[in-house]
Order: sequence, then structure tokens, then C-alpha cells
Amino acid sequence: MEGKNKYQSRRDFVKSAGKLIVVLPLVVVPAFLIKKTSVKGYVWQIDPFKCTQCGQCKTNCVLTPSASKCVHAFRMCGYCDLCGGYLRQGVKTISTGAENQLCPTNAITRKFVEEPYFEYTINEKLCDGCAKCVKGCGDFGNGSLYMQIRHDRCVNCNECSIARTCPSNAISRIPASTAYLPKDRK
Amino acid sequence: MKFNFNEKDISILKVVSQVSGGFALIVALTMIFSLVQLKTVNPLDNPVLLSIKEQYDKDPSNAAKAEQVRAIDLMARKAYFSSRWQVETGSYLLVAGVVIFIFCQRMIAESEKLKPVVADTKPDSTLNRGKNRKYLLSAAAFILTSAIVSSFFLRADLPDISGKAPTASKKEAKGDEKASAPDKTNWPSFRGQDSRGAAGGKGYPTEWDAASGKNISWKLEIPKKGKSSPVIWGDKLFITGAQDKFCEVYCIDKKSGKILWTGSASDIPGEPAVLPKTDPDAGLAVSTAATNGKVVCAIFSNGNLVCFDLDGKKKWMKNIGVPESSYGYTSSLLIYKDLLLVQFDSNTKISLLGIDLESGDQKWETLRHGRAVWSSPVLGNFKGKPEIVINGNPYVSGYDPLTGNLLWEVECMSGDVAPSVAVNSTMAYAVTDYAKLVAIKPDNGVSVVWEDNTYTPDVSSPVATDQYLFVSTGNGDIACYNALKGDTLWTHYFQDPFYASPLIADDMVYFLDRSGKTHIVKVGATFKLVAESALGEAADCSPAFSDGKIYIRGRKNLYCISKN
Amino acid sequence: MKKALPYIIFILLLFWHVAIMAQDRFPRPEFESGHVYPTNQMPVPRAPFWEYFDVVVLIAALAVTTWLALKRRSRQGLVWMSLFSLAYFGFYREGCICAVGSVQNVSLALFNTGYSIPITALLFFIIPLLFALAYGRVFCAGVCPLGAIQELTGIRPVKLPKFVEILLASVPFIYLAIAILFSSTNSQFIICRYDPFVGIFRLDAPYTMIIFGALLLLAGVFVNRPYCRFLCPYGVLLNIFSRFAGKHLTITPAECTNCRLCEEACPYNAIIPSNLEQKTEEPEKSRKRFILYFVFVPVFAIAGALLLYNLAPVLSGANSNVRLAREIRTEKKSGIESPLKDVIAYKESGKTETELYNEEELIIGRFRNDSPWAGAFLGISFGIGMISLTVKSRRSEYKPHQGKCYSCGRCFKYCPIKVKS
Repeated sequence: MEGKNKYQSRRDFVKSAGKLIVVLPLVVVPAFLIKKTSVKGYVWQIDPFKCTQCGQCKTNCVLTPSASKCVHAFRMCGYCDLCGGYLRQGVKTISTGAENQLCPTNAITRKFVEEPYFEYTINEKLCDGCAKCVKGCGDFGNGSLYMQIRHDRCVNCNECSIARTCPSNAISRIPASTAYLPKDRK
Repeated sequence: MKFNFNEKDISILKVVSQVSGGFALIVALTMIFSLVQLKTVNPLDNPVLLSIKEQYDKDPSNAAKAEQVRAIDLMARKAYFSSRWQVETGSYLLVAGVVIFIFCQRMIAESEKLKPVVADTKPDSTLNRGKNRKYLLSAAAFILTSAIVSSFFLRADLPDISGKAPTASKKEAKGDEKASAPDKTNWPSFRGQDSRGAAGGKGYPTEWDAASGKNISWKLEIPKKGKSSPVIWGDKLFITGAQDKFCEVYCIDKKSGKILWTGSASDIPGEPAVLPKTDPDAGLAVSTAATNGKVVCAIFSNGNLVCFDLDGKKKWMKNIGVPESSYGYTSSLLIYKDLLLVQFDSNTKISLLGIDLESGDQKWETLRHGRAVWSSPVLGNFKGKPEIVINGNPYVSGYDPLTGNLLWEVECMSGDVAPSVAVNSTMAYAVTDYAKLVAIKPDNGVSVVWEDNTYTPDVSSPVATDQYLFVSTGNGDIACYNALKGDTLWTHYFQDPFYASPLIADDMVYFLDRSGKTHIVKVGATFKLVAESALGEAADCSPAFSDGKIYIRGRKNLYCISKN
Repeated sequence: MKKALPYIIFILLLFWHVAIMAQDRFPRPEFESGHVYPTNQMPVPRAPFWEYFDVVVLIAALAVTTWLALKRRSRQGLVWMSLFSLAYFGFYREGCICAVGSVQNVSLALFNTGYSIPITALLFFIIPLLFALAYGRVFCAGVCPLGAIQELTGIRPVKLPKFVEILLASVPFIYLAIAILFSSTNSQFIICRYDPFVGIFRLDAPYTMIIFGALLLLAGVFVNRPYCRFLCPYGVLLNIFSRFAGKHLTITPAECTNCRLCEEACPYNAIIPSNLEQKTEEPEKSRKRFILYFVFVPVFAIAGALLLYNLAPVLSGANSNVRLAREIRTEKKSGIESPLKDVIAYKESGKTETELYNEEELIIGRFRNDSPWAGAFLGISFGIGMISLTVKSRRSEYKPHQGKCYSCGRCFKYCPIKVKS
């Protein structure tokens, strides 16, 4: 019995000592992090001005279809008849026919507003984030079409897979209260 | 859950689990199959659709073709969206099937209540401890050896941190090479030593007249035409010429004006059969040669690059690819230590090449970004660090002459960039017509100090001292700026445009206009015209200065001007 | 003219590819008909309240699991708890944020400026560890969705040979060291990237991860809890903390009678038998061995530090900036233009090579500074592992190994002792 008690008390001592040592980091780490703790969380957003429309938004998101889709900043749009984001390069006729469209899933609808302006709207259900229209608009137009991560789709991964591979490092964490980085913020 | 399962229940569970398991398996297989299909041919990018679109592009008015495109596009889109729907529903079905299967299997496993089997002997704790120690040791040894072995295979390409790499420290990278004052005899490349536009020595003539022969030492008709400038080493002058595809390098005795030897730079393997587009007046001999006293190298607008020793023996020759650009290839060569630096500008690729002078092998190639230009590289020396500065579009950039590493770049140019930069001991000046003149200071990074766009040459390269910057334009204007601040100190208008670059010799700036007249102005803050001397022949090439004599290439002839 | 202008500009621009997003090539329209710009739908992210709610659910689930495992001793209850956690933290919250990945957030925040750890991530890191310190690995028992999915599919347990088990059990230590190294240098979150079950929770993942997860689950049917035992990096921390727990799950509800019926009960080999009646080693021998290994701990630490210091350049390849710099160097050496999108984007960005190489050197420097610590950690862990295998202990009861036991309660039904409630 004596031996057992000795063992028990030794073991208990080791346990209590160990507990104290081990609790230390649990106290120290949050203390260090007090200044670096934010009460609100983060969401992922693409900076539309850094984006190079490489097309990886479609393929690298963990979700299929991707959580990043094309958004139209109407205030920046020129409402052109010859839209660089809607029409394929080098088309001879301007119509809504599939042979002229740049979007592979027919996600952009073209609506006549008044002479000579046409309005282009994105149907997000159809958009798969390939960024072809964004590239076309950026190259030949005002750049009013841009890729952006949509929060109704994004699962807010701890590390965004698209951000990890974005060639221009355009995707970063922004406070959840800001929610979006639209292109026509000014 | 303490259900008491009887035989019937178990068999029902078994059947249900088999059905759900089989169902899940089928769904999984179909999903894998459709995923594989998607991977091989993306419905939206399928080759049929692409070829139909191509066909339609060739014949856009064909309504039938348009209809075909529409039909196939619709099919493709439907296939795409249906495959997405399939994957989505498939995954739900799969999860449902697997859940039911697992549930049933758990029930079955639970019902198979077996009495716990007690082993004959209780595990010996000491023995086991010893065994586990051995196992842990061997596991650690295994991990250690595999880590060490893999470290030999997974070599990582590290940056070159040997000695004083220019990229090593963020502190002021002071080099240890001093800029040497220009030699009075040798004029080794376009615009002189290091392409800086300054001549060494004194006593250069300021007055001459070709018509009367005053101060003209000799005149030689160059066998083949060209726009390259002469280069000089010792008593030998080298110049190039070309007629159609026949390219030649001439070695001329600078004292007598006689051709010592002619080297051929044609019939080189890789030479294009069709001549690239160049200025029709110029021909292929536009780039100025370069020499270092041991060899002379020349490059022609068809990409032919040759190297001779000073006695005319060919050392090596190669064709580095045909540089295609709107005005043809015009960049001159520069020699730095054992390297021949070639600024290669073509519509498809622009780069800076470092070629070994001895063997002709390409040591390195630094790809530049931007568009093709017609300027030449200049060797600057900023705080003891030698840098190659290239006027490009849109970047003016600095490179390490030994490794070709990009040191800095400034985005500031546009249009047809032909003038080379001017350098002094701290700044580089880049300019082109229809753009602006930019004064750049490469110092712990790079900054733009001042800009101006009043006097912008289209062809002629400016020249700078530490106090003044001299510019001559295609309008006939010449201007002098304060090199540090950028204020215009004086300007003057002459009748004829300037193509040749202004050069500084003996405290005077020599401006050679296209009519062949040289206007010599004193280096200073006020305009002081010293003399004007006529060549009697149109001239576009920058002169060469050596031992008190000036060598100017006119349209046809090479003149040696010296004070008699 | 107004009509033709876009055509003219279009044709001019047709052959001139502009990399940067140019603004205002075409003037904004002035609508005569009074057309109003449509507004964009911007769906909002999950409200912060729900993030805090998750923490509340976490604490509640941990409390209930503790009660089920330690007080109520109900295996069925723990199974239902696992089911709940799988449903809530797994399929509903889609497996993110989880305590396993929170290690990286803490590491990223500790060693980098410019990132503030969200308080929910910090709490997800700390709270399971606190519970482990007090009550053992109850987090693993019924709260962790990864553990839950493995627990629920672990139907036909099979024992592994001891050597394989020990070898594979060293992997979580390496995984933890590398994960902290990569996240502290802001390179990658590898725990999240290679999480095998999050794809199943989301019902959407790169197909390689789905296959990996499915295969792991399939293996887990026989070799139970494969991720927990042989991969989970957070498990290393839980293991350490749980060893000092005052109250822990016990196999027997009362005193152990050494009936030996629970010897083969644990699929995870976490039951330590009693050994009072067994012959022990000579105390001299074991004391010598203990001292030997104790003294060798610093040696192992230094060896580990050296090894990882040498591996630092290879490991730095996890950082995308380092990879880009290497790609640019290869491109220059070979003269062949790289087709990689990163290289193209870099060239269009106007960043100079000097800047890129400076960044690369900084990052490699960080790796060289930090990896010796990771190596030392591995060395010390190995040393402590060896020491713990030299320590004699005389046990009179069958008890679970407090570091390895997941408090799953499978052993309950093997114990014949019943306590009258």
C-alpha cells in the first residue's frame, strides 16, 4: 500500500506540474494574440484592379461551379453596341446569336435600351466563372465586367484555393463587415 | 440501441445493405465515368464546336453555318449543365446510399455480439516496452534516412548569393568598378567608349570643309553602303557595309585610309533566304560594330553576327535569328569584359543576350518585356556599379552586364523608341519623339527625377555630362538642359534635321546634321557656337573620335578630318 | 460618327492586346429616355452571430460529450453525439471552420503582421484543448466531425502490427511541424488543403481529394480512425494536453477487477493492462536507460534542427513567391518562355526582378530561421517518446492511455462490472 501511495503521489505530482506547464501556452498564446484578434471574421474577395483574368477562378475553387462569378459594374459600362465582353473577337455581324457570343454558357443577356446603347446583364445561375467576358471587356472595353467572389456560394474556406494560386495575388481576406470589393466603389 | 435482432431481421438488414451498397456503387461508378468524360472533353470547349466556329468565321454571311453553330452550341451548353446537374444529384444519391449501407452494416455488426476472447497470456509490459522502444528507434531511423536521401534528390534552385550579388542587400549596393575616362585613341563602339558619347584626348579640329579639302586628311569610298558608324582601336578603324544580302566588315588603316582587309559576314548557317524589312536606303549594315582591341564583332539586320580578330581571321559566326520589326534591326553592339552584349529586338521576342567573345556561345539571355525598339545598349556606371541601360517601350531598364539580371525598370516610354540613353555618373536620360524626356536616377531602387517634352529627338541620342544634357532633334533644334534639375538652359534652331547623335570632345559638343554640316558648340550654360563645318555630303551616322582626328561616314564616303 | 467610333477603336485595338484593365475607353452613356442603372444583387455573407453560435454549439457539444463519456458512460449516447456533430459541424457547416485547421490560423497570426485571427478561430483552437486538459479527448469522442465520420464508419476493427502502428503514429508530429512552418511563413494552409473529409462534407471537392477521402474511409472501416491516429496534427496537441487530465474516461465504472475481458476491446490499442504481478526489469538497467535517453534529448533536438535547416530551401518551395522566382530563373537560363500564368502575370505587373529576388531571399531566410525549431520539436518529441518507453510504471488496474484514448466508449460494454444507479 505504501508503495502504491508513493507511486500515486509521484504520478499526481507529475500530473499537476505537467498541467501547469502545459496550461502556460494556452494562456500565453491568447495573451500574445490579444492585439491581433479581430472580433469580426473575414471573407475572401478579389481585387478587380489586380485581376489578370487568367481563368483559374473557374478551375481552382473547391466548388463546382466556382464561387467567383462575373459581376457587371453598370456605372462603368459604356453600353456599347460592339461589346468586347459580349461578342467574340473578330465577329462581322452584331447579334445575339450563339455564333457571335463570347460567353460559353450564354450567361450574358443583351438588351436594347435606346439608340445606340445596349445593356448587358449577367445571369449568375449560368455563369461558371471562366472570365472570358471579363478579359474581353478589359481588353476592348471599359472593364466594367469583373470577377468577384459571391457570398451566397462561397463557403469561406480557411485558405481560399483560388487565392493560393492567383497569379497576380489579387485575392485577399477582407473584414466580413465590408463584404464586397466592387469595381465601381468610387 | 439495444434491439434484439432475430434471424429474420438480420437477413432483411443484409438485403437492404446489399441493395443500398450496390446502388451507391453504381452511382459512384457513373459519376466517375461522367467525370472522366468531362476531363477529357469539356463540353464547352469541344473540338466540333471550335471547328464549326472556325468554319463560320471564314464565311460569316452563311446563315446555314450560323444555324449550325447555334445548334451545336446549344447542345454543348445542355450537355454542360446536365453534367453539372448529374454530379450534384449523383452526390446526394451517393451519400444517401452510403449512409443507409453503413447504418445497416453497423446494425449487423452490432448484432454479432461475440464474447470477448481473452488471450492466454497477459501481455508482458516490460517486454512490450522494450519491443516498442526498438520499433520507435527503427521508425525514427527510417524517417531520418528517407529525409536525408530525399534531400539529395529534391535540390532547390537557390538564388546566386555568391559574394556580392547585386540583389543581395537592400542597402546601397556600392560596386567597386570605377568608370574609366574615355581613351584618347580607342573608340570601341557606337558613340564611343561604353556608348556614352564622350571622346578622350584633346585637339580635335573644329573647322573643315570637304569642298575645298581643308583639314580633310583622307576620303575613302566604302565599297558597300550602310548606316553604321566607324569604330576604332589603335590604328585600325572598322566599319560595316552591305549590298542586298552580302554583308562585309572593313578594316581600314586610320592613318592612310586604305582598306587593310574585308571580312565577309554572309552565307552564315541560319541566315534567312528572304531579307527582313529594313529602311530601303540603309540595307543590312545599320548596327555599329564593336571592338576591344583583340576582336571586332559586327551584327547585321538579318541576324548575322560575326567575330574577327584584328587581322581579319574569322573567329566565329552565327545567326541569332531574324529580328523582324517595322524599321528593321538597328541596335548596335557593346562589349563588356569577355561578353558581347546584343540587344535583340523583334516583334516576337525582345531580349538582351550575353555572348562569350571567345567562343560565340550564348552565355545568358534575359527576356525583356514590352515592344521592339531601335535603341542601343549603353554602359552606365552608377556609384561604382556598372549597369547596362536600355531605352525600351514602355520600360527604360537597367541590367547587370555580367549576368543580365534586371536591376531596375521604369515605365515611361511609348511610341517608336530609337534614341539610346545618355548617362553621366548618377543619372540616365531616356527620350523619344512623341513621348518625353525622362531623367532617371538608379540609386537604391530607381526614381524619375525630372521630365520634359519640349525637345524630343526621334533618332539622335542625347549626350550628358554631370552638369549638362545636350539634345538634337529631327526638327533641327538643339537644346541644353541642366542635367540635375531639368531646366532648359539654351536652345538653338538650325535648318536641317539631326539624325547623328551629338558627341562631346575637348569640352565641345559636335552636332552633325543630315546635310553633313557639323555645328560645334561650347559645353556651357550659354549658347556659344564655335564653328560650323560642312562635309559636302549627306550624313546620318555619328562620327568617331580618335587621337585628335574625327572620322565621319557620309552617304558614300568615309572622311578623316584632322588639323593639318 | 458616334456610331462608327466604337468600330474604329475596336479595329485599332483588335491587334493591340492591352494587359491592364483600361478604364473609360468608351464614354459613359447619357440616357435620353431616363433609363436608370440597374442595381447589382450582392448577397451578404453569413452573419457574425452565427459564427459565435457555432462556438456556443461547440462548448455545448463538448459538455454533453464529457457528461456522456465520463458520467453517463453511454456508448450509444456518444454514437448519437457523433452523428449530431457530423450533421452540424460536418454537413451543415461544411467542415469549416474546424479546430484541426485553427492551428494554422494561430500560427499565421503569431508570426505575421497584417493578419488578425478571428476570435472564433482562436476559440475553436483553445476550447477543445481546455476540455482535453480537464477531461481527456472528449473533442475526438463526439464533437470533431472528422472523428465522427471515422467513428461511425469504423465497423470491422482490425489490429495493425505494432511496428506499423508506431511508424505511422509519428506522421502527425511531422505533419504538425510542417503545417505550422508553412502557415507561419504565410505560404500555405496544408491541413485545409489536404483535409480528406471536407470534400465529402461539402459534397464538392477536387476529385483527387474525394478519392483520397473515400479510400481513407474505406481503409477506416478496418483500421479504425486512420486520420485521427496517423494524420491529425491537432491530435498531437490533444494527446499532450489529455495526459494531464484530472478526470478521464475509465473502462470500469468502479474498481477494476482485472478480469482481462477488455484487453482486446480497443481498436486503437489504447488500453494499458495492469502489470503488478509481472516481473519488472532491474532498476539499474532501466535507470541507466532513462538517463541515457534523457541526456540524448538535446542531441535529438539538434539533429532534427540541422536536418530541417538543410531541408529549408526545399520546403520554401511551398511559398508561391519562391516558386515564381525559381521559374523566372529557369526561364532565363533555358531561354524558353514559361507558359505559367504566374510568370505572365508577373511580367505584366511591372515588378522588377530585383524585388522578386529580394522577396525570395527574405522568405528563404524565414524558412531557414523557422525550420530548425520545427526540427528541434521533432527531435524532442522523439526523445520524450523514447523516455516514456523507459519509464516503469506499476499499474494495478486496466486503464486507457490518456494520450491515445479517444474517449469513444467502445470498451464500456466489455467491462462486466455494473454499478447500481
